[in-house]
Amino acid sequence: MKFRRSTALIIAKILVKILRITGRGGTSLPGKLALLIYPALLSDLAFNTEAIIVTGTNGKTTTSRMISEILKNAGLSFFENKSGANLISGITTSFIENHHLNCQYAVIECDEAAFKTVSKHLNAKYILVTNLFRDQLDRYGEITHTLNNILEGIKNCKEATVSLNADCSLSSSLKDSISNHVIFYGVDIPLENTDETLSDAPYCIKCKSRYHYSFRTYGHLGGFYCPSCGYKRTQPDVSVIDILSVGKCDSKIVVSMNNTTYQAVVNLPGEYNIYNALAALSVGIAMSVNEQSMIDSLSTFTGGFGRMENIILNHVDTHIILVKNPAGLNGVIRYLSNLNDEMILTIVLNDKFADGTDVSWIWDADFENLIRIMDRIKMIYVAGIRYDDMALRLKYAGIDQSKIFKVNNYNQLIDEISDDKYKNTASYVLPTYTAMFDLRLKLTKKFKLKNFWK
Amino acid sequence: MELNICHLYPDLLNLYGDGGNIIAMKKRLEWRNIECHIHNVTLHDSFEQDKYDIVFIGGGQDFEQEVILKDLKGDKTKRLKEAVESNVCFLGICGGYQLLGNYYQTWDHHQFDFIGALDLYTIGDKKRMIGDFVFSCPDILNLDVVGFENHSGKTFLGNSVRPLGTIKKGYGNNGQDQTEGARYKNVFCSYSHGSLLPKNPKLCDVILDTALYRKYRVNINEALHDEYENEANQFILNRLL
Repeated sequence: MKFRRSTALIIAKILVKILRITGRGGTSLPGKLALLIYPALLSDLAFNTEAIIVTGTNGKTTTSRMISEILKNAGLSFFENKSGANLISGITTSFIENHHLNCQYAVIECDEAAFKTVSKHLNAKYILVTNLFRDQLDRYGEITHTLNNILEGIKNCKEATVSLNADCSLSSSLKDSISNHVIFYGVDIPLENTDETLSDAPYCIKCKSRYHYSFRTYGHLGGFYCPSCGYKRTQPDVSVIDILSVGKCDSKIVVSMNNTTYQAVVNLPGEYNIYNALAALSVGIAMSVNEQSMIDSLSTFTGGFGRMENIILNHVDTHIILVKNPAGLNGVIRYLSNLNDEMILTIVLNDKFADGTDVSWIWDADFENLIRIMDRIKMIYVAGIRYDDMALRLKYAGIDQSKIFKVNNYNQLIDEISDDKYKNTASYVLPTYTAMFDLRLKLTKKFKLKNFWK
Repeated sequence: MELNICHLYPDLLNLYGDGGNIIAMKKRLEWRNIECHIHNVTLHDSFEQDKYDIVFIGGGQDFEQEVILKDLKGDKTKRLKEAVESNVCFLGICGGYQLLGNYYQTWDHHQFDFIGALDLYTIGDKKRMIGDFVFSCPDILNLDVVGFENHSGKTFLGNSVRPLGTIKKGYGNNGQDQTEGARYKNVFCSYSHGSLLPKNPKLCDVILDTALYRKYRVNINEALHDEYENEANQFILNRLL
């Protein structure tokens, strides 16, 4: 067995190098192959590392990066899996690449469907469930199915402290089915513009009566309570008690934790990033990290790959924001609605497996909210495999066809959106998962950007 | 002129972008200067069958469908059947389609009785039928309809119900008899999500036309510029056929 283990490791390491040199990320193939040769490899490598597993529908990557920033500033040794390599193969690759560092911690972003398997192999000490929204039903099935998968995963980790979103009626219901120590985080006040039509969970997960809300933040998140069975939001241990400002680049908030209040700057815009910051803090609290050091980390943090990533294309100030489901997309549209800039928008819609093969979700997102800011949007470019569907969605949202530009190849798209005519215009690019990789590869070549696995 | 569209259980039956069908009907009426009012009818609301020209029922998750069955019992079921029999236009998609039938039997033989407005029934299977699909409806329009299906129920039609179309690619009602959807009086049913109507504008117009004719004895005669619609339709045709 020892022979198989070392063979698996050597082959995987060589493969990592080859894939890098040939310019392909090489994030999942080496792990996949190594597990074929020696299935116990991940358990072996992960045995001595305390894992912090981040799962849930939205915010996994950003929150993982925030946790890493907190650990870094606290001087703790850790590694993380990169660039959304969040299935068992990609996670195995991360351990293969990093096990020689003998880190105390591993920050592992984990796909919610893969979590119940991955959690069997890792030495999980901390588990964070960010939230549950409808996402790629063709792949994950119903929300309650995902919820059960996560529950099974947590049950593999009896020792772990679990962080849950108090405002999410779906994921916070996990508390009653597990014996782990739980830390709740949440936002204690309504967030602005909550004229939300979309709720992924209007009815009680326990008794199927309609929830009432004392306040809402977004989607189905907020101060829910069930008038019938009494299931209700738990007062969180880490919470936002005030929002001082919501800006183009950051949010200033007041956080309460362990009976102390702190002013904090979340160095990423958008209210969903306030949740991500809270989630990261809740993990830090579980790990007993110094509180002021955590707060400081939020202000120095910069976005993960494709998460509000800022790049300059030619002279155009460009922001890349991954979109993958209605709740996430609505968050981005709300963010854009609050900006006063003149902007161009690019939406790149693919329907490969990792994007979800069903693109109907674009009809569940509130593109109608763009109408209010169309005077500031100079043009909306649509690209990707399903750009016909995207253009159609925009037309039925009421957007004038003269402001919709269909472009079916990336080179032409990049030429258009990096043109000098937009040098004083903010550019927001919203790709789905595989579209982000495709586009990123083209951009890397053309503008010599850093490679995505770094 | 104005049409009133009832969106039944919009907060519960709203999977896979089915709400896009409401958007499509509303826009295509407004573009022709016909007023359109949407009436959301959900749990505990009364269904006033005389008020609506079109009733839309989308698909939902199993969790939500259970809540609905309780609410449908009695008065609502009676009124829905009356509406169907008095030629109100209906569009039922996936779960909403199944709901109009007699019953749903799960793969492990539990039976849920539905409203029985249409003579059809559905048998649950463990295997899901998922993917882009195409069907033709030669008797209502000379056009291929495209969509995305995602269902584990297999639906079988009784004698009084015709299929909406014939499968060219995909599974349709049950993956066996090449039928897709159902037609009965002014009821249109399909397994097509996607959303169905935006990408199949002619089918949308047939439904609107049926409702307008019933109410005002007039037909839609204004064609719209359906370039985007046809391109999105053609993309799936090119991919599958």
